[in-house]
Amino acid sequence: MTGPITQPVPKPAPEPDEVSLPYWTAAREGRLVVQRCTSCGKAQFPPDLLCRYCQQPDPPFVGIDGRGTIYTFAIYTRSFSPAFEVPYALALVTLDACPEVRMMTNIVEADLAELAIGDAVEVTFEKRGDWALPQFRPAQGAGA
Amino acid sequence: MSLLGRQVAVAGIGYSDLSRGDAPDPRMLTLQSCHAAIADAGIAATDIDGIFEYLHADRESPRTMWLQRVLGIPNLNAYADLFATGPSGLGPPMAAVAAVGSGVCEMAIAYRTLPQREGNNGGIAAPPTSLAGPEQFTGVYGHTAGILANYALKKRRRMHEFGTPAQDYGQIALSARRWAALNERAVQRAPLTMEDYLSSRTIIDPLLLLDCDYPVNGSCAVIVTTAERAADLPGTPVLVDAMAWGTGAGADFVFADDLLYGGSIDCSRRIWELSDYTVADLDLAGIYDGFTHLPISWIEALGVCGFGEFGDWVDDGRSIGPGGVLPLNTSGGMLAEGRVQGIGLLAEAVEQLRGDCGARQVPDAHVAVVAGGGSNDCGALVVHSG
Repeated sequence: MTGPITQPVPKPAPEPDEVSLPYWTAAREGRLVVQRCTSCGKAQFPPDLLCRYCQQPDPPFVGIDGRGTIYTFAIYTRSFSPAFEVPYALALVTLDACPEVRMMTNIVEADLAELAIGDAVEVTFEKRGDWALPQFRPAQGAGA
Repeated sequence: MSLLGRQVAVAGIGYSDLSRGDAPDPRMLTLQSCHAAIADAGIAATDIDGIFEYLHADRESPRTMWLQRVLGIPNLNAYADLFATGPSGLGPPMAAVAAVGSGVCEMAIAYRTLPQREGNNGGIAAPPTSLAGPEQFTGVYGHTAGILANYALKKRRRMHEFGTPAQDYGQIALSARRWAALNERAVQRAPLTMEDYLSSRTIIDPLLLLDCDYPVNGSCAVIVTTAERAADLPGTPVLVDAMAWGTGAGADFVFADDLLYGGSIDCSRRIWELSDYTVADLDLAGIYDGFTHLPISWIEALGVCGFGEFGDWVDDGRSIGPGGVLPLNTSGGMLAEGRVQGIGLLAEAVEQLRGDCGARQVPDAHVAVVAGGGSNDCGALVVHSG
């Protein structure tokens, strides 16, 4: 067993690869992008070498509206990692502009006791090492 | 029997001791279960020409080559160490059925050995400074103890989608204990009330401690051979009627198209296409209960009841308990007999169809379904007494 954690442990940063680099580069610039196939029009996440719906290679990354809906969530109330302070919410969020895309995220800036499936959320970005993560928070007011 | 080139039988089963708190050598556990299965089948170890095992960590299970060597088997015609893919403990027997059915080998042994320490997912680990591969989209969000989180995510989504109360999940946990009380091999035999279930510790909200199976030191093995060969052995063979894997669309543990059912719907459709039986013929079911969500989603996927209808169908637990319309996990399953990741449910189905289950025997049991996996890792078999 380890003793009490005295040094803050940094949360892990993403390590982009050749396929995901445009996604993480955009996130670092505060933009949410997904791959959208020019052939069949479907969006996909996580990014991959080809469109998983029609096998078109190299689907391009396009900017996407950052509004989404909570599909499901779980709340960590005990820590499995010293980097992640509890409580925190781990969620799957669907993007309103392309509901076929379901992303994993935390729900940040939220009262965790009030979270519900179907809640409107919007993207925000959290600095992480040299990169930034898309995160989602409750949508700020009607029409946000 | 439409799918296999040759008719296949499970000719023997064996368990190691199932224990908690000690730390037996996984090799010893494996020898215990394999020796027991070999004796149960009434074969010599040297009759074996195929070995299959599954592992998801590094050292929890000895490899096929080790077993071959220590059993003095001169050569193997088929083998695989299945690493963290497919329906975990059901994967090795399924691979053995495919190998024997196709004629690649004649007499296979399949095992799953899992020490208690490898069955715990709750360890606290310092994260690396960066995460590559699939984890760049999951682990960076603190998707730690990922399998537990996945089943918490599924549970909340199901409760929302169908209005499923937590008590429906509790029925699986309570039923496991009712059956385990009748099984001397089971490690967790204490009766459980719904209050016990609902007040059990939160692991990752809404997943409760008693939604999770019970880690033990254990190993289970089965002998798979042709029906023809099995007919010459002293025991009562159980025949494999149909078998299917299933992954579902967009196969992924987190991002699959169907979070709730994974590949279980496709797997169920396929197995009923292949089987000579229908769901109405089932006398019992063995469905991997690594988490309570799994039997619920499988019972619906298999068509035992409609989607979202498990809560009504289960009838306060009566449908799946002793004397019920579909006795489920009659050994107590992974939740209560102890966690050997699904292979024990096949062994239990074999014991039931042979009529060897004593106090927990399902009367006139002839046909059983055994299924495992709940994401992109599904697999199922229909077995019968012939």
